[in-house]
Amino acid sequence: MRTRDHLLGILVTLGMVTALLGFGLLFGAERAVGQSASSWSVTGRLIDPQGQPVSAATVRVYVDGDDEPIEAETHDDGTYLIDLPRRPERSLRIEVERSHFRPVEYELDVSGMVPDEEYNALRAPDLTMERKITAGFWIATAAFVLMLTLIALEVLHSTVAALLGAAIMFAATTLGYVLKADGLIVLSMERALSYIDFEVIFLVMGMMIVIGIIEGTGIFQWLAFAAYRVSRGRAWLLVIVLMLITGVASALLDNVTTMLLMTPISLQIAIAMGINPLSFLIPEVLASNIAGISTLIGTPTNILIGSYAGITFDDFLINQTVGVVLALIVLIVYTEIVYRKEYRAASGGVSGVLYEKMRQNARIKDPSALRKSLIIFGVMIVFFVAGEGLHTPPAITAMVGATALLIWVEPDVEKMLKAVDWTTLVFFMALFMVVGAIQEVGLVSYIATFLADLVGDSLVTGLLILVWFGAILSAIIDNIPFAAAMLPVVGYLTQTIPGAESKVLFYGLSVGAAMGGNGSLIGSSANVVTAGIAERAGYPITYVRFMKIGVPAMFLTTGAATLWLLLRFFVLG
Amino acid sequence: MGTILCATRGGEASYRTQDRAIEIARERGDKLLFIFVSDINFLSHTSAPVLVDVEGEMENMGEFLLLAAEERARNAGIEAEHVVRQGDFREQLKEAAKEYQVEMVILGRPGKEGSVTKLQMLEELVKEIEQELGIEAVIV
Repeated sequence: MRTRDHLLGILVTLGMVTALLGFGLLFGAERAVGQSASSWSVTGRLIDPQGQPVSAATVRVYVDGDDEPIEAETHDDGTYLIDLPRRPERSLRIEVERSHFRPVEYELDVSGMVPDEEYNALRAPDLTMERKITAGFWIATAAFVLMLTLIALEVLHSTVAALLGAAIMFAATTLGYVLKADGLIVLSMERALSYIDFEVIFLVMGMMIVIGIIEGTGIFQWLAFAAYRVSRGRAWLLVIVLMLITGVASALLDNVTTMLLMTPISLQIAIAMGINPLSFLIPEVLASNIAGISTLIGTPTNILIGSYAGITFDDFLINQTVGVVLALIVLIVYTEIVYRKEYRAASGGVSGVLYEKMRQNARIKDPSALRKSLIIFGVMIVFFVAGEGLHTPPAITAMVGATALLIWVEPDVEKMLKAVDWTTLVFFMALFMVVGAIQEVGLVSYIATFLADLVGDSLVTGLLILVWFGAILSAIIDNIPFAAAMLPVVGYLTQTIPGAESKVLFYGLSVGAAMGGNGSLIGSSANVVTAGIAERAGYPITYVRFMKIGVPAMFLTTGAATLWLLLRFFVLG
Repeated sequence: MGTILCATRGGEASYRTQDRAIEIARERGDKLLFIFVSDINFLSHTSAPVLVDVEGEMENMGEFLLLAAEERARNAGIEAEHVVRQGDFREQLKEAAKEYQVEMVILGRPGKEGSVTKLQMLEELVKEIEQELGIEAVIV
């Protein structure tokens, strides 16, 4: 039975990897179909005012004034290739239509034109399609704002809120098809699926299994307890060690898991030392939010940014770690000043019964599983770092690592597969669709244009706006949908601002989205779960109490990280 | 000797509840049974994946908090035990009161700030316990 369960788990995981590869092949194959070898054809490209490709637009070509057009759709890169029935003698009239864009007509004089050698096609110039504000624009914008509001106010679970946003888009689209109202067509299912970043989905899924196995070993609780013993009642020292453990764990796993594991044991240690547990918990969660951004897998926003911008695990390590370390040093100094009275008041005394209970709660639950997990996780880190050279995307490393852990550690497979939080994966998929919809209707383009006008050619201004605007907004709204919506905006700014090809703006987005989480209790999921556990233990963290500590911490640490980005990209180059 | 069921956690507000429960137990010559009910509803307010055995961690934490309360009672010369439950606070409290055949239930007044437990809810619970179970219940 046990063997069968394991085989099932392995097969499921391998199935996921195969599916992932399948998607790659599928999309690869789709590209190949567009390449025609017809004797006469016409090719061209559609772009929006920001120079971004316009996909899924209908292109109609009339040869020499014919009444019947030849029709095709543009590909993801905005290109089209249309086979012509005969050699055009005089001209080709090209008509282009696309929801949320003004139609374009172009007359191509073909006399004397020589076909493109690669495709044997007449090459039409790039056509720019101007955006048009439609009813669909307002519906998609309203649905997006509604989703953010429902999540921020905790009216609906974030997954339900994202699904509701997607459902509104689809309802408008259906209505658009029924009423033949082009402006209402926001997002077809086919387009919606094309916006889902499956690399993100599979990376998150793989890491969930890996984390599910590692967390069960009790390593973090054991480390926290070891720190308690080593500190010998010196609370000022213990909090530094706890912040460092939390920071490293957040960078390698994820913030929420880290805080779910660290909060209960930290609470017990603080009570045993006779000090207010919040003087440990708040610094820990602040450190967790900061340190997560030093790796690709440390925060969901980094996973999104990495996948979109092609920023690798080692890119994040190289470009973010120093900033994170600086921010942590600032945070440690700040913490020691703010909580100096609490730390001095530590009594350090605990009864034998309570000490034994704490020791028991912090024991390594499965030493063998821990040893195996650490070996495989170490190999995974090597592959994350060397992934680009080995042509191994992070999603593959995560899925193969998860499979290896399932085979070697032999955990309860059903339990481990249940550890995959499908709610979160559905949230990501719905979120991708909603963000896709606001891209389709042009909201992202308008924001990008506004920011580009504001910033001009100044990369420093662009960086500062992204970091600080991101930080303040992330303190108010969920940073995952914010980052997801900002990705195409930052992508556009990266193309238009001189010098931005270093991807510094994406790092700025990463810093702002993560460190802004320290500005309010709802700024990050790690804050929410920490406050939840602390409240259950009788130590509530109120919004005001958190902000009193968190807001100055946010400004100080974001400032430190910004300084590093300026130094790294503008001084060191 | 009867049993008094006292719902408690950690923190200043809970210490006041524990001290008052110890006084009452001494006056009545009863023993104390501390109860901690953990619920993980707060997880529904996050969009991040929850990959940890949170219930297990909360149970361990509850055991620790109640051991501390028990120690406090023993140091005051009162016999004490504890029980950790998971789920809805109202239901679990009533079930434990029935199961351990307690003679009195003590609830702590909510702290000044941040507590999700509201006084009105506790007052309603006191009425429920008295009417449904016929057990004396007080908020201290």
